[in-house]
Amino acid sequence: MNTVSSLLDDSWRERYRRISALNIRSSIYDVTNQCNLRCRGCFFYSSREHEAASEEMDLQKWHEFVGNEKARGVNLAILIGGEPTLHLDRVAAFYQTMPTYCATNGQIKVPRDRFPDMMVGISLWGDEEDEKVLRGKNTFAVSSKNYEGDPYTYYLYTITPKQLGRIGQVIRKIDDAGLKVHLQLLTNDEQVDGYSWTEEKMRDVRLEMDEMLECYPQTVISCKYYHEIITTGKMMGRSFGWSECPSVTELLDSRNPRPKRLIRFTRWASDLKTQHRCCTSATRDCGTCKDGAAHMSWVMVNKREHLKSAKDLQNWIEVYEMFAKLYRFIPW
Amino acid sequence: MSANPDKEALIVRIAEIIIFELKLEDITPESFNPDLDLVDELGVDSMDLATVVLVLQDEYGITIDEDDYPKLSSIRLIAEYIRQKQAS
Repeated sequence: MNTVSSLLDDSWRERYRRISALNIRSSIYDVTNQCNLRCRGCFFYSSREHEAASEEMDLQKWHEFVGNEKARGVNLAILIGGEPTLHLDRVAAFYQTMPTYCATNGQIKVPRDRFPDMMVGISLWGDEEDEKVLRGKNTFAVSSKNYEGDPYTYYLYTITPKQLGRIGQVIRKIDDAGLKVHLQLLTNDEQVDGYSWTEEKMRDVRLEMDEMLECYPQTVISCKYYHEIITTGKMMGRSFGWSECPSVTELLDSRNPRPKRLIRFTRWASDLKTQHRCCTSATRDCGTCKDGAAHMSWVMVNKREHLKSAKDLQNWIEVYEMFAKLYRFIPW
Repeated sequence: MSANPDKEALIVRIAEIIIFELKLEDITPESFNPDLDLVDELGVDSMDLATVVLVLQDEYGITIDEDDYPKLSSIRLIAEYIRQKQAS
């Protein structure tokens, strides 16, 4: 029987110990149903989740809700929307209570005097051309000015099939802005023509993602095992999908057998009562879902599966470290 | 299985439950080191532990609170925990 000690040398064992102590318990919160963009492919709007519940308008109720979430054991709030920065008082309710990550399109600057070390993830869907097609404007021009050199901000770069061969140009611009970047892949929820993945494109993008990691090791927060998992949808011979996804709201999870999953994970709507099925949308075909966090979590909750060999366990550690870096539980 | 087995038998039985429930390979109840840290060394997580706890609760007629999971980090500690619960 393999044990951690039998598989790892001292330096890997130290890395393992560091992340094992973290015990991250995240949940996701829709801060608002509103957004200042309407992106083609945004699951929130394409699945009409913005109509699922009315927003809670009483700020005091947001504070009470966040307190209850902390008491429930949540120690990482992941804020999405809509656009969370449209309601900074609600964001503050989380930030004042627990480690908080705010996803944003970067068009509004989070005031750092109010949120000095809140993690900010700016969504980016490609280069100027792609952004105009999918999001109606070149968001990078604004977001890179708003957050240039910010040590608590990174780009969440959603790579589209049209980006093949041009990913490096985008990474270079991010690097020039003094920011970090994490890579994930577009799930073409709205079936925009030309933006769906094929097996061949997946193979190509994996190679390009690996190349970016080698060329920009200080800028790209990623690891090769994650690239393998997200591009193939396979882990230890198993396929990602509904029966495997770890990011399903706990109370709505009636799967039997129940797979390894995130403990206490819930995705809340902005009425603070309604729960969404999972971290993306209930209308998405899970077999084609390319959500980066879901794939990372898939690896993370399957630790024992990775005790088969030293390489497998090192891969697991690298994915966990990547996740912990993205939410600043450990330094970049 | 007696409701109050001697300590060594209890340790072997707990090992048997863990091996079966977690589908561990290349290990027998007798060769399972009772002091091995289940979390740090075997990668056992809270979901694994919850699975094992369900069986332990049924078998030994005790209730194990989730807050006590950190105390259950090795087979020997689980055995001691069960004996204390049964005695109280």
